[in-house]
Amino acid sequence: MALSKYDKDLLLDLYRTMLTSRRFDQELIRLLHDGKVGGFHHSGQGHEAIAAGICASLEDKDYLFYHHRGCNQQISKGISLEGIYADFLGRVDGTTGGLGSGIVHHVDPDKGILGQSGTIGESYILAAGVGYSIKYRGTDQVCVAFNGDGATAREVFHGGINWVGLYNLPVIYVIENNLLASSLHFQNSHSLKEGGSLADRADSYDVPSFVVDGNDVLAVYEVAKEAIARARNPKERRRCTLIEAMTYRYRGHFEGDSAEYMDKDVIEEWRENRDPLDNYRKKLLDSGTFNEKDLTKLEKEVDDTIKNAIAKAEASPIPGRDRIFEGLYA
Amino acid sequence: MMRKITMREALNEALFEEMERNKNTLCFGEDVGYIGGIFGVTRGLQEKFGKERVWDTPIAECTIVGAALGMAITGLVPIAEMQFADFMAVAFDEVHNKLGKWRYMHGGKFEVPVTLRLPIGISGGAGPEHSQSPQALFVHSQGLYVVIPSNPRDAKGLLKQAIRDPNPVLFFEHKKLYEVKGEVEEEEFLIPFGKAAVKKQGTDVTIVATALQVTTALEAAELLEKDNISVEVIDPRTLVPLDTDTIFESIKKTGRLVIVHEDPKRGGTGAEIAALVAEELLFDLEAPIKRVAGPDVPIAQNIHLEKYYVPSVEDIIEAVKETLD
Ligand SMILES: Cc1ncc(C[n+]2csc(CCOP(=O)(O)OP(=O)(O)O)c2C)c(N)n1
Repeated sequence: MALSKYDKDLLLDLYRTMLTSRRFDQELIRLLHDGKVGGFHHSGQGHEAIAAGICASLEDKDYLFYHHRGCNQQISKGISLEGIYADFLGRVDGTTGGLGSGIVHHVDPDKGILGQSGTIGESYILAAGVGYSIKYRGTDQVCVAFNGDGATAREVFHGGINWVGLYNLPVIYVIENNLLASSLHFQNSHSLKEGGSLADRADSYDVPSFVVDGNDVLAVYEVAKEAIARARNPKERRRCTLIEAMTYRYRGHFEGDSAEYMDKDVIEEWRENRDPLDNYRKKLLDSGTFNEKDLTKLEKEVDDTIKNAIAKAEASPIPGRDRIFEGLYA
Repeated sequence: MMRKITMREALNEALFEEMERNKNTLCFGEDVGYIGGIFGVTRGLQEKFGKERVWDTPIAECTIVGAALGMAITGLVPIAEMQFADFMAVAFDEVHNKLGKWRYMHGGKFEVPVTLRLPIGISGGAGPEHSQSPQALFVHSQGLYVVIPSNPRDAKGLLKQAIRDPNPVLFFEHKKLYEVKGEVEEEEFLIPFGKAAVKKQGTDVTIVATALQVTTALEAAELLEKDNISVEVIDPRTLVPLDTDTIFESIKKTGRLVIVHEDPKRGGTGAEIAALVAEELLFDLEAPIKRVAGPDVPIAQNIHLEKYYVPSVEDIIEAVKETLD
């Protein structure tokens, strides 16, 4: 696709978002190895293009349910970096006000970031309720719920997509299909026709769907833009969409997973030839839209932003016992 | 102005009034719309408020509860019905892990004004999966309120409170009480959570009972009166929060406690009350605490066997007398 048809700011923003996501994760893993971050972290390295491409067409008023591998998604939706670093570090200035972030529960209602269910896949049904709420209130908001391919085997996938289709709700389900669910390979998780996809299932609910290369940010951007515009318009015959974005993960299921079930050569092939950032960077340069200087300037800015965010987060105090008794009831 | 209406009518009035009061209040569940619920509690609502606000959902309990949460955190006030409270087992994750925890685990940044209406109780051969009273499971959960009325007036005042409350409320309605009539004023009123009702004053023994068992306990108390035994009957009305002040005050006076409930004894709702009393008032007690409760076996579907599950007037009288031996 020719880059000339795109707004230059958009092109650069997509790169900035993906790079921020990648650098955020790399630095988080460093903090983990330094023993400063506890709990589980599910790295989204390799998946950055999906969230960046989807969220580029969302606004603050739109809703997001991210999943356990979802830092990319929150960053793409505009969450505060120091806020989520502070969560990971267990500090009071985290988005959860000091509850931390073992399995991510970052939140920012002002940015429409509604949180995550620790039991994976539940956002399929929560988003159905949010979609009903949007439709009932008559606004032009959209609700996007991210899940993995594994979570899509859960019973709630049917319950959720059935509501979303039945009531024609402004909901977009995004499946980050990285072909793995913990140690379980995609093939051993789903009953599909030969060569079939998860997206095929949407068809029987009369929910429009796409299968897209999840490592190509512009390809994701294009399908999401169409889906989001359709969701906003109450006159559309179908406001709901399922997007299955194909990708692969670079690291184990969580940091510390030895990932013996993964083939090192396959990971290497994805890293070398299909990396969403490397390929996009090359495209920006090859097209002549940006030069090396433009990009290194941006890369430096991103590095500074990450560094500042970590410094601010680390300056925030660790909460005391009182914190656990706060905020249970409104 | 008082009038006598059934608990079904009282609940129905509460729903009408609260739907009228706030247009963001919605009512849904299986068979809730067109026929007004299989127990008739939502009758007339769809006609009055339309299908967008009152509707029949697919048979999908997880989705009903999960969607209610999604609505609640984005500005609506959902009232959902589980056709039978037993089906809470289907939606356990959504109730126990989502409704009660969403606000807390996300730093207290949301309100979750969900009301789940939950028909409970043994009522005519419905068997082990349509007769239970599973409220104890959720007394153990965090972040939920557990409400259990015993009469039409309380049902109305508590349901209106539940709908207005910014927290998730599990509202347990005993099926045998739907037909029971009681006095309810015409004027609007609310009943706050955490305030027990002293149904009858007495000096010798305290009975704490819930739902249908409040009536049974009062009957037993009346008969015991003839034997010169003065019983105080307390209906907590909400199990979470629990009005321990009223219960403790009564026990300080009587020194004796009998707890009556239909749910099974082991880990039942009485276990928590007994434990609290033992922790705080052991030396005020003059006799061991007694529990009159359902047996620890599934509820048989044979209608002739049902009576063996429900605490009777005789069971209660016997337990009260044992505390006086
Ligand atoms: C209901 C539930 N079952 C199991 C788990 C444990 N678990 C967390 S992530 C995961 C694998 C998820 O795979 P997938 O949905 O494909 O997402 P991915 O990790 O590949 O991004 C499992 C089994 C859980 N958190 N919740």
